[in-house]
Amino acid sequence: MGTPRRAVLRGAGAAVAGVAVVGLTGLAAGCARDEGPDELEGPLAAARADAATATAAVAAFPGLADRLTPLAEARRAHAEALAAEIRRARPDRAAAVDAAPAPAPAPASAAEAVTALSGSLGSARDAAGALALTTASYRCGLLTSVAASCAGQATVLA
Amino acid sequence: MTSPPGPPAPPPLSDDLRDAVLAALGTEHAAVWSYGLVSAFVPPATTATVTAASLAHRERRDAVVALLAREGVTPPAGAAAYRPPEPVTDATSAAVLAVVAEDDVAAAWRAVAERTEADTGGELRRLALDAVTAAATTSVTWRRLAGRTPLVPAFPGDGSAT
Repeated sequence: MGTPRRAVLRGAGAAVAGVAVVGLTGLAAGCARDEGPDELEGPLAAARADAATATAAVAAFPGLADRLTPLAEARRAHAEALAAEIRRARPDRAAAVDAAPAPAPAPASAAEAVTALSGSLGSARDAAGALALTTASYRCGLLTSVAASCAGQATVLA
Repeated sequence: MTSPPGPPAPPPLSDDLRDAVLAALGTEHAAVWSYGLVSAFVPPATTATVTAASLAHRERRDAVVALLAREGVTPPAGAAAYRPPEPVTDATSAAVLAVVAEDDVAAAWRAVAERTEADTGGELRRLALDAVTAAATTSVTWRRLAGRTPLVPAFPGDGSAT
């Protein structure tokens, strides 16, 4: 049992490293058998929505800029990383990934904006954390960081 | 655990994953030691944060030691002392050390997460998620005290945090 298992793990690690470095044309074909949305499309939509909500809130209430501008930047970075991973693994989902997100409406008040973002960050943390436990190795690292960042951002808003 | 003919042996850790777990354990030891020093310098308002963080690192350290023992790995003990990257002389430098300790923990555990498989790495993945999440939330207090921005890295543990 022991030796084959180790060999499998090493092989998987090497494959992931190779993918990260070269950018991977071969594996994309292998993944093309997947059907339906990529599992990262939910976290991607959540990251884009938070970035849009925070940006709209800062535009309406500039006093929120100190707290919400870094949040918007982090969630935008999450969206870019998640979109890049979906494009890499699932070229067939490019249309869904590239679809323009809906603009966020201006919040009624600063407090309402902060409350809404606190809630959505908590949901994003839970969703990314749950997915981190079941996904592939490389994605596990990315989702672990995204979940942790959302938890940290929620702490800043608290 | 005792059902005949005995529990199935867990799949052994790969060398790569074992090394990553040992590195993570080392950062937990270092964090526990660092908070001992940090506690002497930071303001009383942060005492609860120090206490909670120190306890969390000790609990995770013990969980890793137990996990490694089940794998037949005897982990090294923590060092008697560590060298902070900068001398700790006041609240700001103590906060900087706490940020470094938490960032080291986050980086080591993200490396563990990236080396696990979904079907066999559940416990390690949970530990990694808890560790990186706690590092990102706890270090908000220390980044604030140290005057560092942003207060939360976009990708805790990916090595780009400051």
